[in-house]
Amino acid sequence: MLNYVIRRILLMFPTLLGITALVFFVMAYSPGGIGGQALEADAGSDSAVAAKIREYYEKRYGIHKPKIVQFGRWLNQISPLGLEIKDDGSLGHFGFKAPSLGDSMEQNRPVMHLIRERLPLTLLLNLVSIPIVYILGVATGIQAAKKRGGMFDTVSNATQLAMWSVPTIWAGVMLIGLLASRQYLKLFPTSGLYEVEAAHMAFLPHMVNHVLVRGYLLDVIWHLILPVICLSYGSSAFLTKLTRGSMLENLGADYTRTARAKGLPENVILYRHVLRNSTLALITVAAGILPSMLGGSIVVEWIFGIPGMGQLGVHAVQFRDREVVLAVTLIGGFVSLASQVLRDILYALADPRVSYE
Amino acid sequence: MTELGTIAMEGPSDAHPATAQVALESKGFLRQTLATVGKRYTARLGLVWIAILAFCAVFAPFIANSMPIAMKWKNQWYFPLFRFLTPADVILQIVFWTGIIVYVYRPRSSLHLIVLVSVILLLSILAQMLIHPPGPQKYSEYLLASRSGKAQSVWTVPIRYSPEDHMDDLQQLRNSPPSVHHLLGITNGKADLLSNMIYASRIALSIGFISTGIAVVIGCTLGGLMGYYGGIIDLLGMRLAEIFNAIPTLLLLLCFVAVFEPNLYYMMAIIGLTSWVGYATFVRAEFLSLRDRDFVHAARAAGIPTWSILFRHMLPNGITPVLVSASFGVAGAILAESTLSFLGIGLTGEASWGGLLNEATGEGGNFYWWIALYPGLAIFLTVFAYNLIGEALRDALDPKLLKQ
Repeated sequence: MLNYVIRRILLMFPTLLGITALVFFVMAYSPGGIGGQALEADAGSDSAVAAKIREYYEKRYGIHKPKIVQFGRWLNQISPLGLEIKDDGSLGHFGFKAPSLGDSMEQNRPVMHLIRERLPLTLLLNLVSIPIVYILGVATGIQAAKKRGGMFDTVSNATQLAMWSVPTIWAGVMLIGLLASRQYLKLFPTSGLYEVEAAHMAFLPHMVNHVLVRGYLLDVIWHLILPVICLSYGSSAFLTKLTRGSMLENLGADYTRTARAKGLPENVILYRHVLRNSTLALITVAAGILPSMLGGSIVVEWIFGIPGMGQLGVHAVQFRDREVVLAVTLIGGFVSLASQVLRDILYALADPRVSYE
Repeated sequence: MTELGTIAMEGPSDAHPATAQVALESKGFLRQTLATVGKRYTARLGLVWIAILAFCAVFAPFIANSMPIAMKWKNQWYFPLFRFLTPADVILQIVFWTGIIVYVYRPRSSLHLIVLVSVILLLSILAQMLIHPPGPQKYSEYLLASRSGKAQSVWTVPIRYSPEDHMDDLQQLRNSPPSVHHLLGITNGKADLLSNMIYASRIALSIGFISTGIAVVIGCTLGGLMGYYGGIIDLLGMRLAEIFNAIPTLLLLLCFVAVFEPNLYYMMAIIGLTSWVGYATFVRAEFLSLRDRDFVHAARAAGIPTWSILFRHMLPNGITPVLVSASFGVAGAILAESTLSFLGIGLTGEASWGGLLNEATGEGGNFYWWIALYPGLAIFLTVFAYNLIGEALRDALDPKLLKQ
């Protein structure tokens, strides 16, 4: 098992290399090239300024060098073992050094700082959504499978297929428009993750002069409701369908008949026998749900104005901010590869028949 | 489609001796599946919606157009609508009517099909070369004459607004909600929403079909090669698939789109290029199990060239799971296009449902419910329709469900 895990982790490196290379060369061979947008925005039509900025970029990011060399430089920069990079951009001697994600071209700040600011917001959004997705999806799936063809099953089947087809962009725009905009019900905030004044509030809700103050926690929850709905309805519909399908398969299996013949109570059959065997199918998709939710949070963050990783990525791509795009790709790729490895480990843990030896 | 059906008949998957004896002509596996799908009413609903969309896409200029079909003006008849048809409109008409002819006459041999396809291609190239419409004109003389009532008799199409009519002269309010004149309201740019949506159905349908087609072709080719040869090709192919699989699709799409000028053809190619992985893995798995079957050995012994073994003998036997996921893939491609247009990095200058949806929230946080509701509903219904068809296809192909 340990051997297998180590092999899988080692296999992640060539894949990550491929991912970053793909994104890097797509950007590098684009018309305008890396940093082209930045040049245009900063310099405008002033050719003297443009030349200065170009010189700066050449020194700092090496964009005049051949593309393969540029990619090599970037790889050297993120690896903890390699050539030392001096302040003026020249290379020093070989050895251990601090890995760095480089500086953002647009914001002139280390990419690491940007990510440290943005990542918690995206993680918060996803960490709140994932349990909701699982609890809702699995519970509805079990209920639907209990009485196949019954009222609940029919209704949940129809709604899950419809929900799965509702585009997130439409759901987001309609929810904001009807529930949050000034013209209609002004129930929710339209953007952001907290109000400005929430920073000064206490954490928990409390009373000040007989007026309820929300507190930081309630404020964040209040802001999170709509984005979380948008992020979770599609995946939970998918999970409902999957749970139902695999529960039905196991309910028709021979061991279920044996359990019934032994006279086991229905609940024990359902939750201790059938559900446990159905979790295998749930584990297989768990690996797919996490990356797809990270992708979905790009759209959700855009609609709800949450300054998370998704927004950072979209903006960086538009600006062709090389270092930021590569960093976001690296993190996104790592998360989805890691969740695949995790899936395979969980698979072996859940099912003793699975062995990787 | 007929060709695929006959090819599938040769394979071992078409094993229904009983039905073959009863009917003089046995049905292909594919045709049987399609017949089963056609019986489901949910799939039928989906097909009906796609048919409506296809009708809107083909006949868009004859449904919504500010130019009259025919008008009598100064004692002379004019036909402005036909003068203003673009090459794309004419090509769509050619393809549509040849499609009808093919459907009615059902050519038996593939030669007929080749002739038909080349006629379509030739006519399309001619249309592209010969037709030079004057382009959209806000204040064309025909439009002014017909609207001011100077013309003696005017025959118009049902919806009298083109998508690029910005109606500055009609003193319409911007963003006015649905009314008798504008059934679905007016967009931010003072254009008729319904007319915009009818023309946008072209983009949705073509992106869905063509980009999925590209993805299926890439996926089948790579997957087939990987499954058939195995070894180093398989290893490299699977790493490539893993790479494409591990990047969040939307981010990859964003990279490609932000970097290349987004026009319709690039968009199709890009969405196709980023979504082939699923098909490749399906076809690979099928080919791994097929490559040691007797009919493949027989084909190899008979000296049939490898491409023929791969794509004429093995592929028809392994294509069925691809069909199911292609149906979902079309839905995914439409979603991807509308999401990109919504984010403002999609097509520019052409009406698309996602782009229209983006206009729903105007400056100052105003919300125009009709601009959000109708284009979003159109995306939803189209995606829903393809998902329904995909579900029906999957159920029709599922041997476990067939037994019950």
